[in-house]
Amino acid sequence: MACIATCAPVLIPYLLGEGKGIVRNYWVTCQFLFGRLLGYLLFAGLAWTISSTILQEVVLRNIIIGVAYILFSVLLIFYGFFMKNDDSCKAACNKNKYERLLAIFPALLPVAAGLATGLSFCPPFLLAFTGAAEQTSLVKSLLFFFSFFLGTSLLFVLAPFVGVLSRFSVLQIVGKMAAGIMGLYYLYSGSIMLIGGWKIL
Amino acid sequence: MNKDTVGIVRANQQPDILKTLILCLPMIIMTLLMLSAGKLPTDPVRLTAFILTFCFINAIFFLMIRTGETDSWRSILFVIYAVCFVISFISHLIEDRGSMAISRADMIEGLTPFCHIVIPMTLIPAALTKTIIFPGTIIGAKHAIAGMFVLWIGSSLALGRGFCSWVCFFGGMDEGFSRLFKRARINNINPKWTYLPYAVLLVVVLASALTLAPFYCEWLCPFKTVTEYSAITSLKTSIQAIIFISLFIALVMVLPALTKRRIQCSLFCPMGAFQSFTNKINVFDVCVNPERCIKCNKCIQTCPTFSISEETIAQGKTATTCMKCGKCIDACKQKAVFYHVKGTPLIGGNVEIYRRLFIYPAFIFLATMSGGFVQDAIVRIVRLITTGSMY
Repeated sequence: MACIATCAPVLIPYLLGEGKGIVRNYWVTCQFLFGRLLGYLLFAGLAWTISSTILQEVVLRNIIIGVAYILFSVLLIFYGFFMKNDDSCKAACNKNKYERLLAIFPALLPVAAGLATGLSFCPPFLLAFTGAAEQTSLVKSLLFFFSFFLGTSLLFVLAPFVGVLSRFSVLQIVGKMAAGIMGLYYLYSGSIMLIGGWKIL
Repeated sequence: MNKDTVGIVRANQQPDILKTLILCLPMIIMTLLMLSAGKLPTDPVRLTAFILTFCFINAIFFLMIRTGETDSWRSILFVIYAVCFVISFISHLIEDRGSMAISRADMIEGLTPFCHIVIPMTLIPAALTKTIIFPGTIIGAKHAIAGMFVLWIGSSLALGRGFCSWVCFFGGMDEGFSRLFKRARINNINPKWTYLPYAVLLVVVLASALTLAPFYCEWLCPFKTVTEYSAITSLKTSIQAIIFISLFIALVMVLPALTKRRIQCSLFCPMGAFQSFTNKINVFDVCVNPERCIKCNKCIQTCPTFSISEETIAQGKTATTCMKCGKCIDACKQKAVFYHVKGTPLIGGNVEIYRRLFIYPAFIFLATMSGGFVQDAIVRIVRLITTGSMY
């Protein structure tokens, strides 16, 4: 439940804003989960290197996550409040560079969302992090986090069905705006983490 | 007489003084009982405050009945109610705690007053964890959680989203600022922003379920500026305070004054969005008679909550966001916009009867909610003038 609670505020608004049908939503959820896996594997590496020094680990963690959160928040804010609706704006519209970027890499936002939420510290994640830190090799640490990812991903089986509601155009607008508001929260979280890492340095 | 003009009561057909007094009699008795709680105050200052409040509230209701106008009189009491709420609430906080800030110790003891805006955020965590995610007291204390829930359920059943114009103690603030200037300085507001409260609602409900804490109260509530807030002890609480004050200035003061609309209530408040759903189960609504409508668009221009558009007029109704304030009804000289009781005929009904059926329960809620705060604020102001202290 903690995993769902961490990811739902990002994934559900995105599915509402973007989802087109159950199959398409499963694809979006897979992209999201792929990003989440990347975040976990990044942490697996970090957990393995924890033996270097505690100070470096905290600084590195704050800076990596802070930067990731800020980049992700910019994407979310742009998606929520500034991106033109595809239906009302076909090829004739002048797209800015962010819109062009998202048009070329449509998976960028769900993968970034998965990565950012994968880097968060929900209670089961902290337990997994502690377990991975006790592993003696990088491969074992990576496998530990991969297992954790597989176990928690089962909870996302039902998420795509929420996106079916997005056929109501009003819910698409609401979902996009909600994603933008979550972006503002991640912008704050990322900034605080960067400041925290900077202070320790 | 033409079928659609049957029962239309014009200004010169308003009841005479005697009939108005008879129509006001139930309200006089109800407010006497509600405001006195069964016994009159013995303290001369409190007794004076009681008499002033009682007379003022009943004068407002008398004028509503006599003139046939709703919003013009409602807004006076509603704005005064909000101002008196702030005076009374802050002075009580300072009297009890010595500060508007709430400490961790007070939260742990459950001394935080519960506010209705928290209600949507508590529902999912309550279902999942069987706990109310708010550092307040369920029953027995001042501003207890159970009391606010009962009030909210009762007023939602009676008024639907009319709650936001007749019951909410915050609503009068942006309404007051929206009436500062005669003309709007900003007229073109993209209608897509009317969906923002639903987005805020979605975020605060999900984030509150995630953090098991009332997310809106911690991060987004502009009214923390004039009620209470977490004691500023860290960078996080400083940022929260900056957010609260900025949102209050922007959404409750500046934008309502410039647009003449209730911006906080209609474009941001998650409780308002949540309350819109209760309009579906409520017996009253505001309807438009397209046959009488001359398409002057005055109702669209005056609606403080963006709840009337050309599309809704064509459908003969207002949007689900309608707060039933009555401003559009007062503005329509053709009497094409009117309060309506669901299930009764749209054309040919007596709209003045419909209006009275609505304003009786609505005004009882407004009088009951505002009465205590207005009385207390008068007492505090008198104390301030006579002794130099409100406490």
